[in-house]
Amino acid sequence: MAWLFLLAYWIVALVVVSLAYALWNRGLTGGLAIVGTESAEGSPVEDLPERILGSGPKVPVFEGDRIEVTLRIESPRGTRGPARISASIGTAQLSTAAGLVRKEGWEEVQVVGPVRRGRVDARGMSLERGDPLGFFKHHGPRVESELGLVLPRFTALAARPHVRELEASAAAPRAGSGTEMFGVREYRPGDPLRRIHWRSSARHGELIVREFEPPGVQTLGIFCDPSPPTPDAADQIARLAASEAWDCLRTGGRVVLWAPGAEPSAPSESRSLWALLEWLARYPGPHPAGSQGEQADLPTRWGGQAPRVSDAIAVLATANFEIDDALETIRLRGGAVRAWVVGDAKMDSAVSTQRAGLAWPLP
Amino acid sequence: MAAAVKLPRPRLPASPVENSLEGRAFVFSGFAVSVLAVVLYGEDYIVPAVGVGVAAAGHVVSYRERAGKRGLRRQILLAGLVFASLGYFLADSVGAFFGGVLPQANFAILLVAVTSFDLKTRRNCYSSLWISLAILYLAAVYAWDYPFGVLLGLWTLCLAGFWAASNLRQMGARVVLPVPAVATALIGALALGVAAFIAIPQPSIDPNGPVVVSLPNYVGFKGELENPALPLIQLSGDPSGATGTLDLHFRGRLGDAPVMYVRTGAPAYWRGLVFDTYHDGVWTASNRGFTLLQPYVPSRLLPPAPPHNLGTFVQVFRVLRPLPGVISAAYPLQTLYAPVSSLREDAYGTFRTPDLLRPGQIYSVVSYLPNLSPEELSQDPYVFNAPDENPAYLDASSLSPRALALAQGVTHDHSSNQFELVMALTGYLQQTFQYTQQLGHVPAGRDPVDWFLFDAKKGYCEQFATAEVMMLRGLGIPARLATGYATGDYNPVLDQSIVREHDAHAWVEVWFQNHGWVPFDPTPGVSGLAATQFPNHWAAGGIARLIPHLTIGAPMAVLGSLGALAVVPPAVVIALLVTVLWAWLRTRRRWAALRRASPGESELLRLYERAQRRLGRRRAPPETPLEYLHGIPTDWVLLEELTDAVNEGAYAGRWPEPSRVRELERRLS
Repeated sequence: MAWLFLLAYWIVALVVVSLAYALWNRGLTGGLAIVGTESAEGSPVEDLPERILGSGPKVPVFEGDRIEVTLRIESPRGTRGPARISASIGTAQLSTAAGLVRKEGWEEVQVVGPVRRGRVDARGMSLERGDPLGFFKHHGPRVESELGLVLPRFTALAARPHVRELEASAAAPRAGSGTEMFGVREYRPGDPLRRIHWRSSARHGELIVREFEPPGVQTLGIFCDPSPPTPDAADQIARLAASEAWDCLRTGGRVVLWAPGAEPSAPSESRSLWALLEWLARYPGPHPAGSQGEQADLPTRWGGQAPRVSDAIAVLATANFEIDDALETIRLRGGAVRAWVVGDAKMDSAVSTQRAGLAWPLP
Repeated sequence: MAAAVKLPRPRLPASPVENSLEGRAFVFSGFAVSVLAVVLYGEDYIVPAVGVGVAAAGHVVSYRERAGKRGLRRQILLAGLVFASLGYFLADSVGAFFGGVLPQANFAILLVAVTSFDLKTRRNCYSSLWISLAILYLAAVYAWDYPFGVLLGLWTLCLAGFWAASNLRQMGARVVLPVPAVATALIGALALGVAAFIAIPQPSIDPNGPVVVSLPNYVGFKGELENPALPLIQLSGDPSGATGTLDLHFRGRLGDAPVMYVRTGAPAYWRGLVFDTYHDGVWTASNRGFTLLQPYVPSRLLPPAPPHNLGTFVQVFRVLRPLPGVISAAYPLQTLYAPVSSLREDAYGTFRTPDLLRPGQIYSVVSYLPNLSPEELSQDPYVFNAPDENPAYLDASSLSPRALALAQGVTHDHSSNQFELVMALTGYLQQTFQYTQQLGHVPAGRDPVDWFLFDAKKGYCEQFATAEVMMLRGLGIPARLATGYATGDYNPVLDQSIVREHDAHAWVEVWFQNHGWVPFDPTPGVSGLAATQFPNHWAAGGIARLIPHLTIGAPMAVLGSLGALAVVPPAVVIALLVTVLWAWLRTRRRWAALRRASPGESELLRLYERAQRRLGRRRAPPETPLEYLHGIPTDWVLLEELTDAVNEGAYAGRWPEPSRVRELERRLS
């Protein structure tokens, strides 16, 4: 039956042409990115002033939020297709496909969450492309990448001041009496004339005044438990530390975060809320060799000393002699020290302690 | 002691639910293309139209309910409809109750239409597509022109479309593709296929049969008796239009109208009647004996394969106009299947039917292809005895002495063997005499052979053939006149031949001791040795024959030849009854189980299911009600109460009173 041969040739030809098409349909690239969040109830974003939000990451993600992840396929060589991109974030499997990928690219946004504190990794990201009939498929190499950080939640543990007061305190704690240059800002009625920075004023066309650190500004050290017993305890320690840091920063203080065995937060970032939150997002740091625990994120410094600070707060879930020593040293220097204890751990230290469970917000 | 290993029950891997609407549209389109082919080439209208309509509705239903569970009632209904289609098929094939027009194709169309209500998975869709391919194949049997390739191309595009839509859906993408690239690829694929179809050379492979195309049919075809108007062969007197008479004094006109289509693996002469007696310009058949046979004639009822047989090849004939009841075919035959009321084999090996062959009649033949090369035939000795003890084969009493002298003179220097002698005479006639169809009538009182040889010196095939037969007989070599059709317009690409009125032909058969009757053709312009050969072109003589042709009719035909076909209808009825009985018993058991249930049991379980639906998560089969309760992040008191009630009923046998269930239901509402 001659017709059957014609049909057979056409089917074989379809397969051959599919191979050629699959070879043509190459050169695609793809990736994932966090493009937005859906804030959960009680997210700190709702309370943060615009000015602080503006100085932070483009898309701040707090634990409990849902993140909007864009899956994007690029086709620099021109219109191609089909292609499929897939990856997993935590336990969520993300995948999307397009039959037609134009030169300007193609993307789809998917929502993942609620997310936990820590790194957001796209695992096993793979781009699949081939021919439309599905005979020849090519999977690109599986790639791991960090999409972002999920920051710990926090709240003002002290009484909350008015937002405008909060803004002012964070931006210009005191313009006047200190000796260390803090920055410049626009002139406000009542500012001493000697504080006017004439060169900047000439450049901007308006009066600009110098700002100085106030005398006796507090540098608070927050010492975190290096090996919390559970992830939930670690999350709670990070929340408490973030809240204490926030309280300190909004009163004009500086904060240094430290956990024994890990690098403390950089002194230059002691006034940056976002840098401190990123440090806490990666908390806990690496555990000593042989110990069990989650994957470490913080840079390590074995045998590191506690940073020099005026006051200190320890946030612990288990007893730690290094933190006890550091607190004792600060106390002997006249600094104020206290501690948060997460869970039911018994502490021998003479430092005054407050207890917290694992629930958030604190009751 | 070896531990008994329990082998897993072999099962097909699960096929995913086909969610692609576009893919289903392509499946339906493929079916529609196949049906269109049947309509155009099979001239069958009612069942295809009904089938397409039903299939369209079935696709809509299947798509809407693709995620649902198959209901038992629907399964029974569909099974019943499949059985009904099978019943229609048997009734129409055997009894032609519905006209007997393409029962196989109609059965396949009905099968697709019925099963289209149950196309859930991708595998189901593939099944539908492959059945539509079978329908297309059936239409291809009747397709004799290149435009059929367009339909085939459309079906291929539907197949590609289904593949693409299904693949994209599986990937999770919409069915949108780069149009220029896909169009280029499709056009390239179609062009590539056509180029391969035309250009790929053919490997020479011996074919093998047998092949049967249709179901047996015991219906005597009705039709007006009419002069078959085969102008060169005058036939009359027999109800079938065929007798054993051929008068050289008359001739008619040769038209161009097609007489029949022949799907064939090799171009050949389609032999019909054979004549052995010539007297006063009239050929007759001296032996009127015949053997009655069933429509399916297997090889065991036919003479064995000739020595040095090169193989077999299949021919499918489709009659286009009323023809005498003569089975034209390439002889010798290995197998014959002709769906007619009965068959007769005459004394010359020709098969006849008692009725006219009607337009649309199809019959299939498997023929031997003996090795009739000059080298082979040259080794045969002279034969001077009449085969079959029939003296007519050597009767040259009508040959004039003048003609005999001419024959002796022509063959005088070519008598080393019989083949050389025959070829010398054949060549002489071809080269000396002129072929014409404008001969006019033979003068009264003249012997047509003498008039042809010495006066007119031109003639048509019957003059040439009769002259050679008589001259050979005069030389003592057994010969006879064969009539039928020349090959016709043979298309080696499509493996088919269109036979027209003007292809009606007559030629010579000469008896060779080792090869039997060998055809020679003294008509000018053709090969003197009219032996069939496989075409040296792959599309017409190669792998095609290794693919079994439509086998659906073969077992039925075998059954019919054994008289066992009558068993089939009762078997179908019994199978239907068993199916219905099984379904009834199963339903009855379910109802009985429901009736045995405690009061409140079924109501509570239904309520529990409603609660699960409301919560948005159904209880998994391995999950206990308590585990389900703890797995649901809710403090819904009603669910706790329902869980307790279900547990108490299921594990302690204490089902709640209907009033308690109604109270729970009220609270749920």
